[in-house]
Amino acid sequence: MANTQRIAVGAVAYDPKVVTIWEMINDFFRARGIPSDYVLFSNYEAQVEALLSRSIDIAWNTNLAYVRVHRRTGGRCKVLAMRDTDVEFTTILIAGTNTGITSIWDLRGKCLAFGSRDSGQAAILPEYFLAINGIDVQKDVRLTRFDLDVGKHGDTGTSEVAVLEAVTKGEADAGAVGDTYWARTLATGGVDRNKVKPFWTSSPYCHCNFTVLEERYGKDLEEWTEALLQMDYNNPAHRTIMDMEGLKLWVRPQLAGYKPLFDAVEAVGYFNASA
Amino acid sequence: MSGGAACDARSLRLGDGLEVLISRKLETLSPGEILEVAHDDASVEHDLRAWSRFIGHEWKGVRVEKGRFICSIQRGSAQRIIAKPLPIEAVTNIPAIADPRTGFSPRGAIVESGSPEFPFDVLDANLAWNPEAAALYERAVSSQWNAATDILWKTLPRVDPELEQCVCQLMTFLAENEFAALYVPAKWIPRIHPHFVETIMFLSTQICDEARHIEVFVKRALANGNGLQFSSASTERSLKTLLDRENFLEASFLLSVLGEGTFLDLLRFIEAYAPDPVTAEIARRSRIDEARHVQFSIAHMKHAIESEPNFKQRLAAAARERAASLAEVRSVNPLVEESLIVLAAGGLQPDRLPAGVRAVRGLYETMHENRIKRLQQIGFSSEDSEHVSQSHTPNFM
Repeated sequence: MANTQRIAVGAVAYDPKVVTIWEMINDFFRARGIPSDYVLFSNYEAQVEALLSRSIDIAWNTNLAYVRVHRRTGGRCKVLAMRDTDVEFTTILIAGTNTGITSIWDLRGKCLAFGSRDSGQAAILPEYFLAINGIDVQKDVRLTRFDLDVGKHGDTGTSEVAVLEAVTKGEADAGAVGDTYWARTLATGGVDRNKVKPFWTSSPYCHCNFTVLEERYGKDLEEWTEALLQMDYNNPAHRTIMDMEGLKLWVRPQLAGYKPLFDAVEAVGYFNASA
Repeated sequence: MSGGAACDARSLRLGDGLEVLISRKLETLSPGEILEVAHDDASVEHDLRAWSRFIGHEWKGVRVEKGRFICSIQRGSAQRIIAKPLPIEAVTNIPAIADPRTGFSPRGAIVESGSPEFPFDVLDANLAWNPEAAALYERAVSSQWNAATDILWKTLPRVDPELEQCVCQLMTFLAENEFAALYVPAKWIPRIHPHFVETIMFLSTQICDEARHIEVFVKRALANGNGLQFSSASTERSLKTLLDRENFLEASFLLSVLGEGTFLDLLRFIEAYAPDPVTAEIARRSRIDEARHVQFSIAHMKHAIESEPNFKQRLAAAARERAASLAEVRSVNPLVEESLIVLAAGGLQPDRLPAGVRAVRGLYETMHENRIKRLQQIGFSSEDSEHVSQSHTPNFM
């Protein structure tokens, strides 16, 4: 017996293609008798509020939005699934080739560029990872932040573009970018490797996930998750969705991968400052 | 894990071709196997680790050996192209029923699943393919001629005005018929599945031939300053029925076996009675091309009927239907018939006209007899052949 209760999935519209992706995902679920529908938000904070007030059932969250839900519910939330590409995400530090920077300890006194302050990969986590290596970005480096598309948690990539551009032009000595941005830009010839080189890769952490409230979790959401996990990259109809959403496999949550961000927001006082 | 591969990338970078080298090497491995990439630059570790994850492979780490950096990448499970490989011989496998989802891919190519469905609707090999098409295509290609340089236009003499008028009327008639012979195959090419490539390529040569014929016929009409003459409503009605036909086999039968077949005798007649060598030469060259089209269609009909004898009834019915729809067309454009008579008579002299009339009656007889031979060649009984030939349009094509 198919479900009849609509399952509302929140997603942030960081790009027009989000509509295309979610229309296809709707079709995917409806073909399996699951009445999934999407609700778009302009920013993750609004989406988190909608999840907390139960206006939506599932939130397609960044890692930072997930941490926010976790904090607001005192941990009474659950992760349904994530992309294979959300596992083992890393931050890469890059530097101008003529800066002499070859390790994070060379950053002292240099100009370091970060992306948007709400970007896990290009701001919060690099700040934390440097801190645990003894470098306080507030004191030990000259920090430049590119606060672009705040509210979208770095999804648009514009602040990472700005970081790479600043390092390429020599306006910053070094910068932090996410590894997917770095790989995509490298492969498409967007990096001048004569001017910029990577010199450090962080330990891995997890990125986006489908978050639900523990009290809302039930059979229908488990069925929704089971159906999602059936999406097959070797099925041409599914491949289109998966290529657009940037994954090859939906996977069960790997919650340990969120620990670095939980620690990071504590260490840098992210929520004290911003929310 | 078993097996694996190694490559030396020297100092090649991602974005400069390293991604190509690695992708090609990984392609030769099975999911789970390891590729070791030797590199000169330590920073490649950061690039390759990010890239491997991004593409869907697994980064397994780096070690230093003799000052070089050996990066290990485990091939992921995703197929880059969702398709099953085909042996090289697949190029010669004529599908009994072609799959519209193979699109424009050449026969024998490995087609990725998920390609869109194309609106081809001639998918049955019995309707779309014949075993002589490839050889006829090759002959067509080696028989192409140039309408501008292969015809010795400078040798065209002044022609008696009465005869010139007849030549111009016939050229007008031939050109309009050749437009039909160009448009009909052109209409069918987009509907025939590309895996029947021999047919598609032959029909392409037919279109090319007809274009050249249109060129020479129109040029001949203009060459002595007289110009194009009359196109009759009955001729156009007759030709339109060829374009309107919605079945490839029937359209090819009506156009090429019956129509172009009849034209062979018409062109031979014009060649024989042409008042000048240029007209004779363009009739001769066009006839040779047309004979190829007729031969193709005969081979096509024979193959279809051999594989499905019922097709014979369908073809006969198509000829009957066409005749019924053209019931009001009782004769060829009178200006065309008169032109043939005058040409055969060598002018309007009363003592010569009877010979012209006899020659044209003889032409009609010959056309009928040759149609019957062609119909018998494709498998019609003599009775059916007689009947189908009788019902053929007096417009010739």
